Parts: sequence; structure tokens; C-alpha cells
Amino acid sequence: MAIAESTLQKGSGGISVRQRKMLTHAAIFLILVGLWEIGSRTGWLDPLFYPRPTNILRSFWLIYIANGNIWFHLYATMVLVFAGWLAGSILGVGLGALVGFNPLVRRFLKPYVIVLEATPRIAVAPLLIALLGFGAPSKIAIIMLVCFFAPFINTLSGVVNVNEDRLELFRSLGASKMQVLRKLVLPDAIPVIMAGERLALTAALSGALVAEFIQRDEGIGSLILIYTRNLNMASAFACIFTLTIVGFLIFRGMERLDLWIAYWKSETGMKRVGARRARQMKGDI
Amino acid sequence: MDGAGSVQKMSGSVVGAQRLGKTFGDGSVVALEDATFDIRPGSFVSLVGPSGCGKSTMLRLIAGLIGKSSGELMVHGKSVEGPRTDVGMMFQKATLLDWRTAIENVLLPTEVSRTVTKADRKHAADLLRMVGLKDFLFAYPSQLSGGMQQRVALARLLQTGVDLLLLDEPFGALDEFTRERLNVELMRIVTELKSTTLFVTHNIAEAIFLADQVFVMTPRPGRIAQIVEVPFDRPRPLSIQTSPEFNALVAEVRDILGEDH
Ligand SMILES: Nc1ncnc2c1ncn2[C@@H]1O[C@H](COP(=O)(O)OP(=O)(O)O)[C@@H](O)[C@H]1O
Ligand SMILES: [Mg+2]
Repeated sequence: MAIAESTLQKGSGGISVRQRKMLTHAAIFLILVGLWEIGSRTGWLDPLFYPRPTNILRSFWLIYIANGNIWFHLYATMVLVFAGWLAGSILGVGLGALVGFNPLVRRFLKPYVIVLEATPRIAVAPLLIALLGFGAPSKIAIIMLVCFFAPFINTLSGVVNVNEDRLELFRSLGASKMQVLRKLVLPDAIPVIMAGERLALTAALSGALVAEFIQRDEGIGSLILIYTRNLNMASAFACIFTLTIVGFLIFRGMERLDLWIAYWKSETGMKRVGARRARQMKGDI
Repeated sequence: MDGAGSVQKMSGSVVGAQRLGKTFGDGSVVALEDATFDIRPGSFVSLVGPSGCGKSTMLRLIAGLIGKSSGELMVHGKSVEGPRTDVGMMFQKATLLDWRTAIENVLLPTEVSRTVTKADRKHAADLLRMVGLKDFLFAYPSQLSGGMQQRVALARLLQTGVDLLLLDEPFGALDEFTRERLNVELMRIVTELKSTTLFVTHNIAEAIFLADQVFVMTPRPGRIAQIVEVPFDRPRPLSIQTSPEFNALVAEVRDILGEDH
């Protein structure tokens, strides 16, 4: 691999294939941004709704450094997202496990699950506000509502779809119900639960924004609302791009967490944990 | 129980069955009928026959995973009433846990019954070395070949420390070369450990090569047609399969199984 790459490097005058790709991407991006800039300067794009990229950059500078007013809101949104996600996850995983382990409960709950799945859950948000009033509790409740479903369904299916052969193995070893749960069902369900958690976190971000749009007190959502109302589109765009970055980091973070928790699904994970086990048992074997 | 005589007789054997039967459903599927046999301590018994003749059913009855429908079944002198931990089973699928290293998989039976000690870990490592996996103690199942996974499953079975091993076509999914090598190793190991072994296969030569006794089984209803004694000492070399005595036994079993085998 290394040899092949270095040969390629020589062939194209000191630039590797990868670097060339990056350069192409950067060039296309700059051209697009440049066209946008020219478009809004010449009035071909309405500068009110399509603020110049340079203005957006200036807004970034303003809200992050000169005024620094975004930090408070960014913090508020992130706290909300993680609190709601955590609450929704606990609810989803707990309920999923509970339902998964009780065939009877499962049978009677099924129609409600179908109804719940068909209802756009965000529609219930105003009711939650009426019930809990404005403030953090109702916001968190809204996020819980939008993000608990994926962990719930995934935990349920993970718990229900236990491999029959493995179950028989545990039975033949005389394992207790608790042991089957801890040593078989839960570890087996972890990858699929993690997949649910990934969806839940993305949903939590959207849920937080909706909650902030409705309540308009703090957070990036209310900030976007205020800026658009004042026709300060450049700052609104800066907020939106901030969310793009947040969304990307969340995605990457969940990917990392997934690799770390479901270590047996990747070569690097198995190498890491396998080496740790070898160190731990070194003296005994 | 039909008297003191039978108790006396069965106490000398690891597994004793009298007119043992198992039906499924409303009784219309007769999986096993009228099986009577005694298995001596330390002996190797092969169960051979076409699929559906009740081989797996017999092992599952002995392991207590399913209940009998009729007759008597004693293991280690006690009637089988439910799943028991003094019997170990191994299947065609290795059924390892993906999230555990080889040695952690081997330690599972111990972990289920009590707290794992230093000595247990040492024992598990020794067993993995014994089945030829000394360099793979900390490998995960997905990093192992099918044959190696079955070796781990065998080590896990031996880790239980039980002296009665029930093997249901354990190497049936492996290629012929791997299977033959594992058979030779299995014979060496169980002979050394003096384990009583029941081994299910539908390969006649394999059944004879490994066993002291071959239970020849026929289907619909599943029953033991005949018990064939194999007179060779264990462990025995692969080359024994070319001897006239061996081939005479193969012919005998084939004859009992009838035209279709
Ligand atoms: N759980 C079950 N329910 C109904 N029928 C079964 C069950 N297990 C086995 N049988 C039937 O019992 C017979 C013997 O099965 P089995 O012991 O698995 O045969 P073998 O292992 O020799 O192939 C077959 O006809 C099979 O269909
Ligand atoms: Mg079978």
C-alpha cells in the first residue's frame, strides 16, 4: 500500500490521489461560494434571503467573538438535546426491555405501538406544553417524545430475537433467568440498541429546535427565530451552519461510541479489547 | 421402575434407558420409540442413522432439555427430570458468543455456576492449548475459522468438567479434512480424560472409527435397530479404516440401515 502510494505521488508531481481529490472538492466549493457571492452582489439572488457568504462569515465573527452571544444559546440547546436524549433513551430502552421480556404485555401493547408509530409525535408538543407549562420540563418531554421510539423498537427487537441455539446453550448450562439476561440477551442486543440511539440523538436535535421555536426563550432555535424576524439572515445562516457542524459532530461522536461499546463488530475494537483481556489474564494463564 | 434388579443393573452405567420413548405434538410424531440400552463409564457410543431417526431427540432427552413420553431414563443413577449440569452438549453450530474472546467463551460454563478463579482461567487456557488453539486464546469468534470455532466449543464443553459428553454432529458443517483431523483429536482427548461420550453422525465410517459401540438407528418411528460392538482399542489410527475388519463392520451397519443408505 505504502509503496503503491509513493509511486503514485511521484507520477503526479508530488501530489497523492487523495490530496488531488481534496483539492478538487475545495475548488468546487470555492466556485459555488464565489457564484453565490457574485449572485447576491449583482442582485441576481435576493440579498435579503440569500445573504452574501462574506456577510455570513462576518456574522460568525460577530456571534462567536465580537458579541459572543451564541455561546449561551448553543449551550442551552446542547444541554437540552442531551438531557432529552438521555431521558428518551432510558424510557425507550427500559420500556423495550420490559415489553420484550413479557410476551403477555407485548401482545396487549402491540396495537398501541402501531398507533403511536403512525402518529407524528411532534403533533403532541402543544399538549405537552399545556400540561407542563413553558420551561425545561415540557421541552425535555417533547424531545423524549420524538426520540424514545427508535431505542424502544430496537431494544424490543433485540431482546425478542435471541438466537435459539444460544438460549439452549445457556439452558443446558443451568443458567438463571438473570444470567441469561446479563450474559446473553443484553450484550447480544447492544449493536441494535446503539443503532437506535444514533437515530434518537439526531431526532433529539430536531426535537430541541422545535421546542425552542415554540417556546422562544433561549437556545439556537429561538435565536434563529429572532434573527429571521429582524431580517438578519446572515446571522440566521450562521446559526444554521452551526447546527450543521453540531449535527456532524454528533454523528461522528455516536460512530465512535458505537465502535467503543460494540467493540466486537470491528477489527480495531477486537484488537483493543482482546489485548486488554490478554493483559488482565496474563498472570493467571 | 420395575424392581430392584433394574436399579442394580443401571447403577453401573452412566446412562441407562428402558423402553424410552418420545412423541411430539398430540402423540402422532413418534421421534423415539422403545429404546433400551446401557452406556458404560468411559465408553464412546456413536449414534448413526438417516435424519429424522431420533438421534437429536435422544441426546436432548439425556440432557434433560426435553421430557420423555414413556419408559425410564437414568443418568448417573438418577432419573432425568429437567436440565442437568452434570451433562455437557455440543452442537453442529459452535454457538459462541461474539463479544467474548475464545478463553472467555470457554469460561462461560464456570461463570454460570460460580465465581471464576485464577485456577479456572488456567484450566481454560490449558484446554484451549489442548485443542490446538494456543495462539488464539484472546481471539474473537469472528476472527476464527469454522474448525477453530468448533475447537473452542469443544474446550468450553470440557471446561464444564462433566464426564458425560453429548455431541450432536459436532463437525458436520466442516470440510472433510478438518473433520477428520478433529475426529482424531477428539478421540485422543476423550480417551485421555476417560469421558463417556455420545456422538451423533450420519457418516457410517466416522461412527465406527470413533466408537466402542455403534447404535444403529432407523426412522419412522425412530428406534435403535441394533447395537454394534467395535472391537478395536482406542485411540486408533486413521489407517484402521482400510482394514478388512473395519470394512466388515461398515458393511454390517449398512446392511442394518437397509437399501436407502
Ligand atoms: N420439537 C419438535 N416438535 C415436533 N417434532 C419434532 C421435534 N423435534 C423433533 N421432531 C421430530 O422427531 C423426529 C426425530 O427428530 P430428530 O431427533 O431431530 O432426528 P435426527 O436428529 O435423527 O435427525 C423427526 O421426525 C422430527 O421431525
Ligand atoms: Mg439431528
